[in-house]
Amino acid sequence: MSNTKKTLSRTSQNILKIDTFSCVRCGLTVSAAAGDGIRRNHCPSCLHSQHVHDHVEGGPSDCQSRMSPIAIAVLRTGDWMVIHRCVRCDELTSSPICADDNQLILMRIAVRPLAQPSFPLETFGDL
Amino acid sequence: MPRRSRSAHERARANRRPQRHKDVLHRQGGHRANDFRCVGCRLDVSSDAPGTTHRNHCPNCLASLHVDRRIPGDRAASCRGRMEALSMSVRPDGEWMIIHQCRSCGELSANRIAGDDNALILVRLAVKPLRDPGIARRVFLVP
Ligand SMILES: [Zn+2]
Ligand SMILES: [Zn+2]
Ligand SMILES: [Zn+2]
Ligand SMILES: [Zn+2]
Repeated sequence: MSNTKKTLSRTSQNILKIDTFSCVRCGLTVSAAAGDGIRRNHCPSCLHSQHVHDHVEGGPSDCQSRMSPIAIAVLRTGDWMVIHRCVRCDELTSSPICADDNQLILMRIAVRPLAQPSFPLETFGDL
Repeated sequence: MPRRSRSAHERARANRRPQRHKDVLHRQGGHRANDFRCVGCRLDVSSDAPGTTHRNHCPNCLASLHVDRRIPGDRAASCRGRMEALSMSVRPDGEWMIIHQCRSCGELSANRIAGDDNALILVRLAVKPLRDPGIARRVFLVP
């Protein structure tokens, strides 16, 4: 490993220690920097998030309510995104999943439509 | 109105699941004015959709047009980009919701499915995350 790389990783470790938020649902203290360098916006344990950014107007939102994970979207690259919906104002956001996100909850969100089908799925046979 | 038919009507109303209150805006002058041609597959779509008060996507390919800003039906967005079905979500009452994303600006919206939506396309959308080849590793080989 080169020297520059070592310095970089040390810097990101410092950010990791300072920049934390506590989950609005389960109270877990979460470091904003995920291991893979991306900035975390949801709790890795319960996957809930907080409405802090206004996506229509841009800039910070004064809503501050809890955002619950409602769907999994698959990008063309195959990467999974979590769709969050604000429980107060219904605002929707999409954010990449992190390597240490709770896999069981991710799977539960992914299979939920098929566990609660809107119509009998047997009509389709093999999909 | 004869009494029997009225009570049958009332029973039908009582059995129907009430729709969650939404601030949906409707245009004056009836629904005909809102018929549209699909931006995805060019199908001519009537705005009367079974099971919804406000059809916003094509029943054939699920595509939609980015015209609303904050409230469904407000027609306040100037984008006019094509909104494609991104994923499927389920409301707490069990109803399926299509998550649309605008291809031009990335905006997301959630929309109820309609009674005449193409069921095969809906199910394909719902199973999309489960077709991921990495899914077994995701569940069983968590590092
Ligand atoms: Zn949490
Ligand atoms: Zn909000
Ligand atoms: Zn179409
Ligand atoms: Zn748009």
